[in-house]
Amino acid sequence: MSLLRSMASGLRSLFRKEQVSQELDEELSGFLEMAAEEKMKQGMSRKDALRAVRLEEGTVEVAKEVVRSAGWEFFLETYWQDLRFAARMLRKNPGFTAVAVLTLAVGIGANTAIFSVVYAVLLRPLPYQNPGQLVTMFESNLQKGIKEAGCSYVDFTAWQEQNRTFSFIAGEAFHALTFTGRGEPSELATVVVTPQMFSILQTQALLGRTFSPEDGVRGAAPVVILSETLWLSRFGSDPKIIGSAITLDQRSFTIIGIMPAGFRVPFFTKQDIWIPLAQDPLFSGWIAQPPSPHWLPVIGRLKQGVSLAQAQADMDSVSSNLAKEFPAEDTGWTIRLTPLQQELVGDVRSALLVLLGAVGLVLLIGCANIANLLLARATSRAREMALRQALGAERGRIVRQLLTESAVLGLLGAIAGMLLAFWCVHALTPFLPSGLAQFGAVRLDGWVLGFALALSLVASLGFGLAPALLSGDAHLEANLREGAARSGEGGRRSRARNFLAASELALALVVVVAAGLLLRSFIILTSVNPGFNVEHILKAQISLPRFQYSTPQQWTAFASELLDRIQAQPGLKDSANAAPLPLADGSINLPFSIADSPPLPPGTPNTADYVAVSPNYFRVMGIPLLHGRTFNSDDSPSGRRVALINETLAQFYFPNQNPLGKRLVFGFPPNTNVSREIVGVVGDVRDISLHQAPGPMMYVPFAQEPFWGADVVVKSALPPSSVVSSIRQAAWSIDKNLPLTDIASMPDVLESSVAQPRFRTWLIGLFGVLAALLAAAGIFGVISYSVSCRTQEIGIRVALGASSQTIRSMVLREGLKIAGAGLGAGSIAALGLVRFLKSQLFGVGAADPLTFFGAAALLVIVALAACYIPARRATRVDPMVALRHE
Amino acid sequence: MADKPGDLVQGTLDMLILKTLALESMHGYGIAVRLEQLSKGVFRLNAGSLFVAFQRLQRAGLIRSEWKATENSRRAKYYALTEQGRKRLNNETREWGRQVAAIARILEAS
Repeated sequence: MSLLRSMASGLRSLFRKEQVSQELDEELSGFLEMAAEEKMKQGMSRKDALRAVRLEEGTVEVAKEVVRSAGWEFFLETYWQDLRFAARMLRKNPGFTAVAVLTLAVGIGANTAIFSVVYAVLLRPLPYQNPGQLVTMFESNLQKGIKEAGCSYVDFTAWQEQNRTFSFIAGEAFHALTFTGRGEPSELATVVVTPQMFSILQTQALLGRTFSPEDGVRGAAPVVILSETLWLSRFGSDPKIIGSAITLDQRSFTIIGIMPAGFRVPFFTKQDIWIPLAQDPLFSGWIAQPPSPHWLPVIGRLKQGVSLAQAQADMDSVSSNLAKEFPAEDTGWTIRLTPLQQELVGDVRSALLVLLGAVGLVLLIGCANIANLLLARATSRAREMALRQALGAERGRIVRQLLTESAVLGLLGAIAGMLLAFWCVHALTPFLPSGLAQFGAVRLDGWVLGFALALSLVASLGFGLAPALLSGDAHLEANLREGAARSGEGGRRSRARNFLAASELALALVVVVAAGLLLRSFIILTSVNPGFNVEHILKAQISLPRFQYSTPQQWTAFASELLDRIQAQPGLKDSANAAPLPLADGSINLPFSIADSPPLPPGTPNTADYVAVSPNYFRVMGIPLLHGRTFNSDDSPSGRRVALINETLAQFYFPNQNPLGKRLVFGFPPNTNVSREIVGVVGDVRDISLHQAPGPMMYVPFAQEPFWGADVVVKSALPPSSVVSSIRQAAWSIDKNLPLTDIASMPDVLESSVAQPRFRTWLIGLFGVLAALLAAAGIFGVISYSVSCRTQEIGIRVALGASSQTIRSMVLREGLKIAGAGLGAGSIAALGLVRFLKSQLFGVGAADPLTFFGAAALLVIVALAACYIPARRATRVDPMVALRHE
Repeated sequence: MADKPGDLVQGTLDMLILKTLALESMHGYGIAVRLEQLSKGVFRLNAGSLFVAFQRLQRAGLIRSEWKATENSRRAKYYALTEQGRKRLNNETREWGRQVAAIARILEAS
């Protein structure tokens, strides 16, 4: 009640100020009148009585002020005054305001933009119900050197039956199916799932239904679920589409549901449709023939209240049971559970945190800059502050007013920063690595804007506090007496300024070192020789619909017919095919054994990457033949089974031996093991990524191990567009329903394989430049200010015969002293911090002396350049003017 | 005690004002005079501190005010105790008595 009354009364004084003030006036003057009357009764004249009362009680105005300042509304009123005063001060110094707001806008904008990505990827819960219950389940076999493989279908069904801690588990795989019958044939990104996947993700269909357990049975009627996006783009959002059929890989599927836009099964970026695993032309075959390879990634939903550790223990016992039951297949395999979000984020996490750290340092440098500007201004405002104090302003009141000014600056900076961030997020989105897309849109929502606002307030407190606290330091009388603008230049304040400028350089060094390390890594990474030529090579992918082209004979026939038709055209003689193509496609890693040799010691990895290629492949790609021969037309389906190995495999498994004529046993899928004779050794190739050193590889003739999908590579001097249309014509002349996909030049493939490191290198490089520029502005400000304060001293020196050379080096030395201190501290900080970068470096150590030295040298040059301008101004000081200056 | 309210024991001014108003409602000057008389000139309060106290007490709901004519037919704001104010005064008087007795015991003991 009394709080309400106090509020009501306070609000009344705020909004009906005139009336309240009049009442108080009347009451007080009545009080004084009565006091005076009392005195007049004792015989005083009216004039004397009023005088006496005023002496005793003070004037009405003072009493009113005391009464007014006692209420809470007074606090608000003075805040409003402070705000208006702050706005006026900022308007009066447009240069200062512009610089400060711009600095803050860049700092807050960049932080907000990076934070919006961090929030979307690391902090925002996954768009599923109770996302904390979702875990990924991978199998590892450390004896065989296999980490994070999928599980075999046999294991999957065993897990489903034997686990006690999961409400559901489901497997998933990816496949591109050919969609025909509506316009040009195209490929649809198809996620192949076991039906429980939809129970796990707990997302309802927008229309129709999701899969039922019956849909997952082999031999059930083929059904498909469409994404809302595809439904809109290809079917015009027709609700009657449910129940009708579409043709995928020449087979009819009934549409049973539409999933809302934004729904996706974890791990795959592009998702057009979903089908049950049992209906997939490829994977349904893999289910059928045990023992099957470890290929199925599995996701599970923990039962209510079950912890990850409990589930891990449960699955450990399941896997040891399986090893007892199926010793041949399951010995050595362990199951590892990981929270889904952690698995999805992967190593992006450390990259993002490094970027956030760097951009945070940039903002810190910006704040130090503004603090310095404010300090310089506080000095010139020392007289104003002294006057306020002399007129009775309390210290706290002055600090409050200065902080209000900082907060206004901070808010202006935040608004400008948010606009900048808005623009940045829009501009950057296309450049974000595609892997981030599965976390949903990066956008500026409430959380991100709240972050920006909180950041601006913390920042304005940060840069406002030092000048505000030092403001009370002013010697009242001295400041009033001297009255000069620069009178407040105390030792403490100039030390604070030098400290801030040095800190800026220290922080800038940390950012520049990080940028330098990543830049060097990136340069080394892109100059890595992938082991093959990329110039003038174009690639395109063709996948055959498996229902129409169901036998390996058909695949071989199609591939050789296609290559014949392409090679028949002028200028396209150098063409070949490969499955999978290095860097462009994922790799296939297979276990192998060496025939007629003692088994490898336990713990030795025995897997190699596998590629099926046509005879021309090595010539087209420029992969050197080191021993023996490459494939030729004799290596036909009916010919002797042969293989090529790469140099690494030869050196590791056949040290000091001639591998030619030896036999390797392997097959794809792995249960189709065949013994093959090694006929040649070729050069190493980086097939997974540029930063991964080449491992063992084995090649087989495509004709002997055909595949339904393959990449065509063509080396030609003709313009790419005509090469592409020639390939397309050749394919369509065989079958007009075949889509040509993933068309790219090999240099582009190489480029996009380093898209993510490039992106973060550019960003951190940009932050490095910003940091260096801000630090330069900081030291420039400090030295300029010091020169302007020392005009008189410099004038005396010149008058006493100092040469301009001496003066210049005196000023530069002052700058160098600050730079030296800053860079020294910065090197120590950087040495401590770079270990967080380690996981992102390539070919360069975290404490790389060259980078450290280079970064420090760069900043010394930047600092000297920044000091050179004030130093030159110092040499131009006219001693006569300077001495009359005061 | 000194004649500045800052030198009054913290919180006692409010209690004294409430006490003054316990008998009848009164205007500001009347309260000041009554306080001075009752304390035999020990408490002399200036207008500023009195009116701050009035504002505070009124916002706390312990007193209420009303414009009325004085005996000299001048317009003045009269303050009166509310029910809540009366309760507070009783409580504070009792508490004050307890504290004074306790302090006296301590002082005598040494």
